Amino acid sequence: MNRLRAAVIGCGAIAHEHLGYLGSSARVELAAVCDASKATASFMRERFRARAWFTDAAALLQEVRPDVVHVLTPPQTHASLVRMCLEAGAHVICEKPMTGTAAETETLLSYARQHGKVLVESRNLLFNDVAIAIDRLVKDGSIGSVREVDVLLSLNLTAGPFGDLNLSGPGAQLPAGAAHDFLPHLAYLFLHFASVRVDVDQVIGFLENRSGNARVGYDHLDALIEAGEVRGRLRIASDIAPPAFRLVVRGTERSAESDFYNPFLRVEGGANIGKRAPLEQIGSGWKLTRAGFRNFFDKVRQHGTYHGMPRMLDAIYAALQAGEQPPISEADIIATARLVDRIAGLSKAI
Amino acid sequence: MRLLVTGASGFLGREVVRAAAAAGHDVHALVRPTANVEPLGWPAGVTVVRGDLRQIGEWATQLADIEAVAHLAAAPSGDLPTQFAGTVVATENLLAHLPMQSLRRFVHVSSFSVYDYGAVGFGGTLTEDTPIEPAPEKRDAYTITKIEQERLVVGACQTAGTEFVVIRPGAIVGAGKDWGFGRVIKLGRFDLVFSPGAKFPLTYVANCADAIVKALDASVPPGSLFNIVDDELPTYGGFHRLGRRLGGAAPALYLPWLGVSLLAGSVWVVNRLLFKGRAKLPEFLDRRRQRVRWQPMSYSNRAAKDVLGWRPTVPLREAVERIVGAPPETVSLDADRPRVAASATLAKRGK
Repeated sequence: MNRLRAAVIGCGAIAHEHLGYLGSSARVELAAVCDASKATASFMRERFRARAWFTDAAALLQEVRPDVVHVLTPPQTHASLVRMCLEAGAHVICEKPMTGTAAETETLLSYARQHGKVLVESRNLLFNDVAIAIDRLVKDGSIGSVREVDVLLSLNLTAGPFGDLNLSGPGAQLPAGAAHDFLPHLAYLFLHFASVRVDVDQVIGFLENRSGNARVGYDHLDALIEAGEVRGRLRIASDIAPPAFRLVVRGTERSAESDFYNPFLRVEGGANIGKRAPLEQIGSGWKLTRAGFRNFFDKVRQHGTYHGMPRMLDAIYAALQAGEQPPISEADIIATARLVDRIAGLSKAI
Repeated sequence: MRLLVTGASGFLGREVVRAAAAAGHDVHALVRPTANVEPLGWPAGVTVVRGDLRQIGEWATQLADIEAVAHLAAAPSGDLPTQFAGTVVATENLLAHLPMQSLRRFVHVSSFSVYDYGAVGFGGTLTEDTPIEPAPEKRDAYTITKIEQERLVVGACQTAGTEFVVIRPGAIVGAGKDWGFGRVIKLGRFDLVFSPGAKFPLTYVANCADAIVKALDASVPPGSLFNIVDDELPTYGGFHRLGRRLGGAAPALYLPWLGVSLLAGSVWVVNRLLFKGRAKLPEFLDRRRQRVRWQPMSYSNRAAKDVLGWRPTVPLREAVERIVGAPPETVSLDADRPRVAASATLAKRGK
């Protein structure tokens, strides 16, 4: 099967995760990388053995004519670059959030359809071990009917580049500021495990700036969501420890809990919970111990939070090679963007 | 000369500003917007320029009259993208906005980290002729980015015909940066000290700053390169004992270089067998990085002394007194007497 010629536009931190796959996959020929910084572009070309480097995206598209382009620049630049890539005849894999609003995302997806090309927004966490494990429990009926999906991201958003007061301008040029950069993760996790493919019924809560850091925009979210029989609570907290990315899926039969930063899998519940509860806790303790050892080795061998990225990209490339629909559908992307819109709408003026 | 000092509020930069102002330069100190420069006590003549080199801003319009540069800005910590942005992209932005054609000299502050310590070997001498690390990706982000940064500066200066000097300091010590007096990690109440008989290639921060200021106007061949270490280099064991005697360090457990090498060799085998060599190891367990810190070898500062005319004016005893804030003349300097048994040894001196 012919290898697809790929190019990357934007060589920041997330590009290292994409290029790790692109530089080693048998499905891909890494044709070019592009960054506004010449030093960055040439360094990344050498590091990941790309054939060429560019500082101008238009020149890359014209000279290289890639089959697939990864758009990994800051979100406010995505729309114009995605259009440019589609017009150049390339499929596009775009980092999340694809745009600042669902309307813009829908317009881009429609534009891709008109050009007969695939446009996919990244949702790498769904390809992580823990998400796959919980997905299996949902699909095999162990959880029963899902009733609640909670996601908590506790991460100090002011500590990274989003809140770096040495830099000018907003940390993220998005309606919900720095929080917006993470909202697609929370939204697609909820929608996926709640099996919701359209709009949710209700979103209430608040999105605030609690740190006082003007550059970060919004850094605190507490949202309650209702979608049919499923409820959910999506939270971002910048002021609690430890850093965690917790996912809890509760169903009519069992509940499953895990964490994307330090993965474990705790499954509780059963028909005879009263008598079995202590034994189940002992079992959970043993599983937690095993998870601790596994996490230690995972950290040593650099199997980190982004380990789902190469799986996601491989699944997308496999679909493109086979001429099939990618594993992330247009409907999924739109539903995510619409939920993000509604959460961003909870913001209070800063 | 109208001198721009980048990274001016950093550990070394603040001393360079002071030394350059004392040498009569018209110093323009580039500091980050949030830096608090008041406690630094710079002379009134120092012009503070605020800006972050990672991002083009107002600072870029204030460089037209600059005649010389001492470039110290770098991001020494964080992951590779963070260090790359703060070291390489920052340097790229600076070079793009300097009047390169009219600059009289560009002094770039690099690091010993760029060297290939494997090429020096056990007991060898690290000099300016030592080759650059050929596989920086197998070391760490700091090595990668400092090599890229140096390459960028040299390339830009050569293209523009700008005179440049590269300064590569060893471990810079000073108040607030004592390198744990050679401690690798803490083990309970003890400090684990590797390779106690190996030289610690230190330079006291004020001495290093003097070398950088000397490099601004010394008569040197184009593209000169100078290693900076002080004249009196203690051993790791001796440095730790000094710190201990002054209350700055805990009792020591020593592991000689042979033990350090065996430890790394064992870990290397485990890494190969269990992790296919992909394990990310801490510095003290990683063979390549161990060599950089603890391999017994010598260091030469002859070129800096002969060509720049530099002399480290703060002797080791005084430097250590300043580091720990001890009153002068209270320290007995016996830095070079490591007591090492065949295996780990508890240093009982000073108890």
